[in-house]
Amino acid sequence: MDIIKLVNATYNYKVFNDDGTQSFAVGVDDVTLDVVQGEFLTLVGHNGSGKSTLAKLLNGLFVPQKGSVSVLGMDTANEKNLFEIRKNVGMVFQNPDNQMVASIIEEDVAFGVENVGIPHPELGERVRWALESVGMEQFAKKTPHKLSGGQKQRIAIAGALAIKPQVLVLDESTAMLDPQGRKEVLSVAKKLNEDFGMTVVLITHFMEEVLQSDRVVVMQRGKIIATGTPSEIFSERQLLENAGLKVPRTIELAQKLKESGWQVEENTADAKALGEMICQLL
Amino acid sequence: MFRDVTFGQYYPVDSFVHRMDARAKLILAVLYLVGIFFINSFVGFAWLTIFLLTAIFVSKVPLKSVIKSIKGILVLLIFTAILNVFFTQEGNLLLSWWIFKIYDEGLKFAAKMMLRLTYLVMGTSLLTLTTTAVDLTHAIESLLKPLSYIKFPVHELALIMSLTLSFIPSLIEETDRIIRAQKARGADFDTGGIGQRVKAFVPILIPLLVSSFRRAEELAFAMNSRCYEGSTKRTQFRVQKFSWRDVVGVLFQLVFFVAIFVVFAMQDSWAHVSWLYF
Repeated sequence: MDIIKLVNATYNYKVFNDDGTQSFAVGVDDVTLDVVQGEFLTLVGHNGSGKSTLAKLLNGLFVPQKGSVSVLGMDTANEKNLFEIRKNVGMVFQNPDNQMVASIIEEDVAFGVENVGIPHPELGERVRWALESVGMEQFAKKTPHKLSGGQKQRIAIAGALAIKPQVLVLDESTAMLDPQGRKEVLSVAKKLNEDFGMTVVLITHFMEEVLQSDRVVVMQRGKIIATGTPSEIFSERQLLENAGLKVPRTIELAQKLKESGWQVEENTADAKALGEMICQLL
Repeated sequence: MFRDVTFGQYYPVDSFVHRMDARAKLILAVLYLVGIFFINSFVGFAWLTIFLLTAIFVSKVPLKSVIKSIKGILVLLIFTAILNVFFTQEGNLLLSWWIFKIYDEGLKFAAKMMLRLTYLVMGTSLLTLTTTAVDLTHAIESLLKPLSYIKFPVHELALIMSLTLSFIPSLIEETDRIIRAQKARGADFDTGGIGQRVKAFVPILIPLLVSSFRRAEELAFAMNSRCYEGSTKRTQFRVQKFSWRDVVGVLFQLVFFVAIFVVFAMQDSWAHVSWLYF
């Protein structure tokens, strides 16, 4: 079943030039895409490929200028639908510091649930559940500004999760994190997808993060240029390079080994596993 | 540079006063502030000292931390004291030198003024030492709630306060980063006259302003994404409850302050009890 449907969605930015004229910059250009219930969808693209703009179309933060976006059959262009849409599409952004509403973690997580109007005791239960789901329950009464980026981002995920959405959109949520933090956030997203059947839309420019997804969408200059499973996408090396993206090095090595006749598993971003495979071959 | 700034001055221990409801404490603090201005005798201040010392003792906050809070108004204290000593011209002349004349009433008046200001600051800082800024925000929201019936944006006001509080650490960090970045490019903040130093801060303020706007936009997106639509159907996560502690606390303070108000109200008929109004 499709949860989110984009039909020919177009969104351009107005640009005010120095000489006083106006022009348009492409954000999302004529995109048609379905997000299927329960899938782990990854959107990759270089800077300025429109992937973040696309994310903001998914919960009605932006409304397409042409075409339409609908969530569970509700059109995002109708303002009356926005509350229900946002209840079902949770979103986490890039900078963890800029999405904290309260200075105590459990109160920040509660913010969305308060907005939806959930009374006690369910309110408290949801906050606890959300914090447990991202493994941050021991920090409930602390302030967020002493935590690492990865931990802050997990709290932001808990804040979206507590509303119990059907889709979780991670809009470049790993972009500002160190490798450790990225790993934390990704494993939480994967866990939510597997344990609760949560539909996840991960938006990123790190190709290594593509691996664990069911489906990958590659974007360039506002358009979708490829869709497929991770291994299908990785085999299109030339196309990726044109889009300013690079196949992770380990995968590239594995691919090249396979091309020259060696029996190796192609899709491993894990350098250690690949090393062991090579050792066994020798 | 700004790392050691701790916002508010909350002293984290577990005590009777810490556990009191923030709303009760806030009301008591207001009563305290008003009450102080009804004291005009040294006996009254002694009476208040007993109250304040007991409250500090019960709160487990070291006396030193409370006294430290006066540091901020030291200049003001000295200034008002000097003004009052020289410009009150009542009572007996004690000292006369050139154009300066010091009267005993002036000394008394200045001393009372200093005491009043000191106790004002000590009492309110006891509130902030025992109550987190977050609790205070919630208390203010809850106490102002009746105003929302006349369309006063109570919830929005409280939200602005709470957002401000949660963004102070990030803004401090940001300022710190910009200062270091500008220093790395050769900016000089430490030499030159006042004019030059003020000018040197412009390259800090502008990037800070720009980034604050960007933050605000991102925050608005994040809040919208979490279904924020104003105060209409929101529920409250934080449950505030009055307990026996609040009753005890209020009664305790009332004992002291009712006495103060009675002494003030009776000053005409009790004027012959001179020690009470010294």
